[in-house]
Amino acid sequence: MSNKTILICDDDEGILDMLELVLEETGYRIIPVQNSLHIYDEIEKQHPDLILLDLWMPVLSGDQILKNLRQNPETKDLPVIIISASREGERIANDAGASCFLAKPFDLDTLVNRVDEMIAA
Amino acid sequence: MHSLNNGKFSFSNDTVKQDLQILIQALDSSISGIILTDNQQPDNPIIYCNRAFERITGYQRQEIIGHNCRFLQKEDRNQKERFMLSQAVKDGAECVVEMRNYQKNGTLFWNELYMSPIKDEHGNVLFFIGVQNDITRRKKAEQELLHQQDIMESQIRERTKSLKDSEDYLSSIVQTVRESLVVLNPDFKVLSVNDHFLKTFKVSREETEGKLLYELGNGQWDIPKLKELLENILPTNNPVEEFEVEHDFPHIGKKLMLLNAHRIELEGQYKDRILIAIEDITDRREIERRKDDFLSIASHELKTPLTTIKGYVQMMQRLLPANASDKYKDILRKTGIYVERLNNLIAELLDMSRIQTGNIELHKETFDFDSAVKEAVENIQSATKTHQINLQGSATNSYTGDESHIVQVINNLLSNAIKYAPESGEVLVYLSRVSNFLKVSVSDKGMGIKMEDQKKIFERFYRVGEIQQRFPGMGIGLYVCDQIIKNHGGTLWVESEPGRGATFNFTLPLDERTSDEQ
Repeated sequence: MSNKTILICDDDEGILDMLELVLEETGYRIIPVQNSLHIYDEIEKQHPDLILLDLWMPVLSGDQILKNLRQNPETKDLPVIIISASREGERIANDAGASCFLAKPFDLDTLVNRVDEMIAA
Repeated sequence: MHSLNNGKFSFSNDTVKQDLQILIQALDSSISGIILTDNQQPDNPIIYCNRAFERITGYQRQEIIGHNCRFLQKEDRNQKERFMLSQAVKDGAECVVEMRNYQKNGTLFWNELYMSPIKDEHGNVLFFIGVQNDITRRKKAEQELLHQQDIMESQIRERTKSLKDSEDYLSSIVQTVRESLVVLNPDFKVLSVNDHFLKTFKVSREETEGKLLYELGNGQWDIPKLKELLENILPTNNPVEEFEVEHDFPHIGKKLMLLNAHRIELEGQYKDRILIAIEDITDRREIERRKDDFLSIASHELKTPLTTIKGYVQMMQRLLPANASDKYKDILRKTGIYVERLNNLIAELLDMSRIQTGNIELHKETFDFDSAVKEAVENIQSATKTHQINLQGSATNSYTGDESHIVQVINNLLSNAIKYAPESGEVLVYLSRVSNFLKVSVSDKGMGIKMEDQKKIFERFYRVGEIQQRFPGMGIGLYVCDQIIKNHGGTLWVESEPGRGATFNFTLPLDERTSDEQ
């Protein structure tokens, strides 16, 4: 389990830090990405097993990224969990092809369970 | 009196005295006053009067003979008829006048006087015959009639004036309102518009009034939705209120309009005219949208740091040292509770703002109602150790509505039941079908709600007094629930007695048509 990699993309440093702390605790390797413009490079370089993706980010938004990933044959099946505080979050996530949606603020147990499920699948 | 020989009476010398007697008796029987005046003597003195003349004037014969007729006018000398009479006397002509005369005792009477001359063979006027009729009663009736006419005319003038006043008054109201008003005839020709219409749509009165609505401004009012309203909806649903029409006008741009239309049903000249009031809500809607946007952004921004805080609090609970004191654990637990409360407040703020402006968008889909309720109950149960939630009965596995909204209502009712009945430990959720409605009842065994509070708890910001201190919150939860159920065409109500718990019920129509109306 410990060799699995999770990429977390969120423009909020606090959330990024907190998620890194939580998920490293469970043994995953974490790639934090604060500037969403860099996400494609990181995916290409590090081949993460799962992505935690925020929606509202400056310049490149989460749903744009997700739609692109879904169009790319190499990433179209990559598990992506959308995390967002937006009211419309769930609908946007589903429309863009998310594997799962979690509304912020989420429960850590729920998050960890979902992550475990997705990676195991 | 030999001139009478030329008259129709023929007198024989034998019977002349008797004949004259008969003639005088005839004259005395007349109801008209008759006099003769002698034009050959100065001032035309009266030389004969009959009985009727005495009766009409109230004078006796000895007071009459020798006088000129003018004594009947007493001091009332300036009547124009007098000059007509003196002219006729001068000309030796016939004349008829109606004039004011006075009886001996001063009583006014109207005298219709017929005067005719008696001439000799050379045309010299010898006598005048005067025939008088007392026409006071007729005159009085005439005058009364005239007076009545005057009164009526002045009343009509007054009423016309007050009608015009109120017309001016109404029209000034119509011109002052900040809403566009249009009056159409049954063929949709514009009869009139108010100033605000001209201002809003930047047109002149000349190019508007008298034209067909659909042909105004090169057909810019030929709007399908407006046509639908006027031709299909209004004839059977009169009046129509709050009908929304959006249209892109060539010069003034996109307008969002709220219309009230009213077809006059009263019999009469205004029947079937159509009144349309147009409220331009373009700006208002834009402001509402910006406010909603602002609140969406604000709530998103507030929730972002909250996510981090919540995560760290949960981490602190996980990483709790084995020897941590109970006090420390309690503080951590409470921190978690208040983070959750803050999160709920942010969500409520957004909900309230949307509901207030009526901008709740329903995403209707068919879903398994019973399962959704079951899931909501399980979620709440997993976070509640103090209460046992029992779910009984069933409603439907196929309901069309906004699942997330309905679940929000269930959650709200459940958390209220838990929150306001802290000592009871039991909540019952009962699902059923009643006629073509589904029904959900959430019962607690808590403190109950007083009768006078039962209606008010659905109002925005209303919180039952004594509850306020013990269970803080914003007091909009039930208001939001009520609005959501209403939006789905259903009803939400409470049945409760103080000290005996409360049951919140809601029904939702299962009939597709009914639920689509809202």
